[in-house]
Amino acid sequence: MDRPSFIVDRPSSADALLRVEDLKTYFYTDTAVIKAVDGVSFEVNAGETLAVVGESGSGKSVTALSILKLVASPPGRIVGGRILFKGRDLVNLSNAEMRAIRGKEISMIFQEPMTALNPVYTCGEQIIETLVLHEHLTRRDAKTRAIEMLDRVGIPAARQRVDEYPHQMSGGMRQRVMIAMALACKPAVVIADEPTTALDVTIQAQILELLGELQRELGMAVILITHDLGVVAETADRVAVMYAGQVVEYSNVLDTFTKPMHPYTAGLQASLPKLGEVVDRLRVIPGTVPNPARFPVGCRFHPRCPVMVEQCLQDPALESIDGAHLSRCWRAREIAARTLDPAPPPVKA
Amino acid sequence: MTEATRTLLEVTNLKKYFPIKKGLLSRTVGHVRAVDGVSFAVKQGEVLGLVGESGCGKTTTGRCVLRLIEPTEGSVKFDGQEIIGLPFSEMRRLRRQMQIIFQDPYSSLNPRLSVRRMLTEVLTVHGLANGAAARERVGDLLRLVGLSPSQADRYPHEFSGGQRQRLGIARALAVEPKLIIADEPVSALDVSIQAQIVNLLRDLQKEMSLTYLFIAHDLSVVEHISNRVAVMYLGKIVELAPSLDLYRSPRHPYTVSLLSAIPSHDVTHKKTRIVLKGDVPNPAKPPSGCRFHPRCFMAQPVCAVEEPPLREVAPGHCSACHFAEEVSSKTPAGV
Repeated sequence: MDRPSFIVDRPSSADALLRVEDLKTYFYTDTAVIKAVDGVSFEVNAGETLAVVGESGSGKSVTALSILKLVASPPGRIVGGRILFKGRDLVNLSNAEMRAIRGKEISMIFQEPMTALNPVYTCGEQIIETLVLHEHLTRRDAKTRAIEMLDRVGIPAARQRVDEYPHQMSGGMRQRVMIAMALACKPAVVIADEPTTALDVTIQAQILELLGELQRELGMAVILITHDLGVVAETADRVAVMYAGQVVEYSNVLDTFTKPMHPYTAGLQASLPKLGEVVDRLRVIPGTVPNPARFPVGCRFHPRCPVMVEQCLQDPALESIDGAHLSRCWRAREIAARTLDPAPPPVKA
Repeated sequence: MTEATRTLLEVTNLKKYFPIKKGLLSRTVGHVRAVDGVSFAVKQGEVLGLVGESGCGKTTTGRCVLRLIEPTEGSVKFDGQEIIGLPFSEMRRLRRQMQIIFQDPYSSLNPRLSVRRMLTEVLTVHGLANGAAARERVGDLLRLVGLSPSQADRYPHEFSGGQRQRLGIARALAVEPKLIIADEPVSALDVSIQAQIVNLLRDLQKEMSLTYLFIAHDLSVVEHISNRVAVMYLGKIVELAPSLDLYRSPRHPYTVSLLSAIPSHDVTHKKTRIVLKGDVPNPAKPPSGCRFHPRCFMAQPVCAVEEPPLREVAPGHCSACHFAEEVSSKTPAGV
């Protein structure tokens, strides 16, 4: 079967701000080749939020690190695909060229602000360093900008707190510092890797609201990496669902939630307890997430899939099912036509 | 449900203050009031959910109930018997009836013991089974939690996260306890695995008419499994109500904002949300009056001065807010 070109109904997609095409990042160990990322494609434009959703081991974080070329090598290596940023393929850039992009054009917000910030430098110093390096400001100007940034991300008494160390701040405040640092140079793309997973729900709400405000203000593209479908529903424009190193479904956020076209997406949604909706037993995706060193043959979801057929032992491609709605499932057309229910059946006690 | 009215666990005015030590002589310069006067009761066969953000004292409460941490003050009655102050040997006997399931299935299992040895040890220590009987019981336990007896000779690292949590549950059930304290049992697991474990815990509870104190920060999981829910903030219970009432008509502004902070899966209706200002205050220096007042969207002058007691505002529905009667789930619209 011919593989249709990616996102057929978007003629503008050739000049997307950031476009990842069939990315493959493998890790070579003594005993195995771990295909952590093995066929990831998506794109994101200015002002948009793309959510990359998946469970642990699905390859979502390695995808993020690959875009910034921060995958440790050896053992890791980008073995295929392209990462087109403003028309340039980042895969072929040298280290020096990448350094000019990281933190300035594409920056990253990490999950754990305590380990991502340097404990022996003050919060201000870490922002100043970025500004001096990329914007060629004097230290005095950089410090003024750092204070402005801290103030903008809602740190009270920014003028005093600019000289504090990360350990003197709470988790929520540290995450605000991370955001200030990532946005100091007004990047075109921000990759946020589980930015609120380590935080309490009330603090998560604050941080998500802040990120949304800053995005509207600065017009940056956001790639939000998360496992939380609630966060996705509230913040994303488009969604790439990852399973076992591959994008298995790609669509706008409304379609992801109202008409999922991959049994994994449907199963994930069905298995979540929803607030205010009490059911006797939750629906369940049976089995466990596969080990990346031993992915199942064919469709990687087939051993857990409620609608698996013999054809699923062959590799399905990520293809357009309905315009810009893509799915990597042999039976996606039946699901789209609503002649097949992809959600796991209700379980009886 | 003839036993439904019997109270299995009764906690009264439980306090745990951790000293803050400073200087060369380790002088106590203050106290972190992790749990500061918590009272609740759990009936036989009931599931009480205990929710709150990190640092609110929910885990410390759970550990104090088992006396894994010695409480500073207060009373814990299990099946009518006071357990605070019981000698170690008697406490050990009682622990057979009260078990705990931990959050992290990776660190709570001994990596050097096979599943069989781990479970056999529990059975022999408590004098429940030996030899062939123990062997058989291990198989039964594994089947009970959805594993296969053929996996008994494996070690913890050979299991996935969800399977390890099943082992943690099997270990807790080995001694046939009456009460299980489940401390964030699913929060370390993958989304697709959480539902499996929640269903298992619920099935076991029904089959064996177990009593759970279910500690979690995820309100939707707690709603799913609990009969009643207690919400904690800075060491105190601020609201306690039957699950349905608490989620449909919360009577404390903190509960209202917690519920509104949860991202909704509904993409077609974006909800209005109250975003609380500031962080959770330091439990060593809690605010005066109502501890929630500096972040509260309903705060009045009285809230800074007078601490509101936990009082019954509707049948079985308790709230610690001066204005509990005025709180409704519609409150956010006006904020």
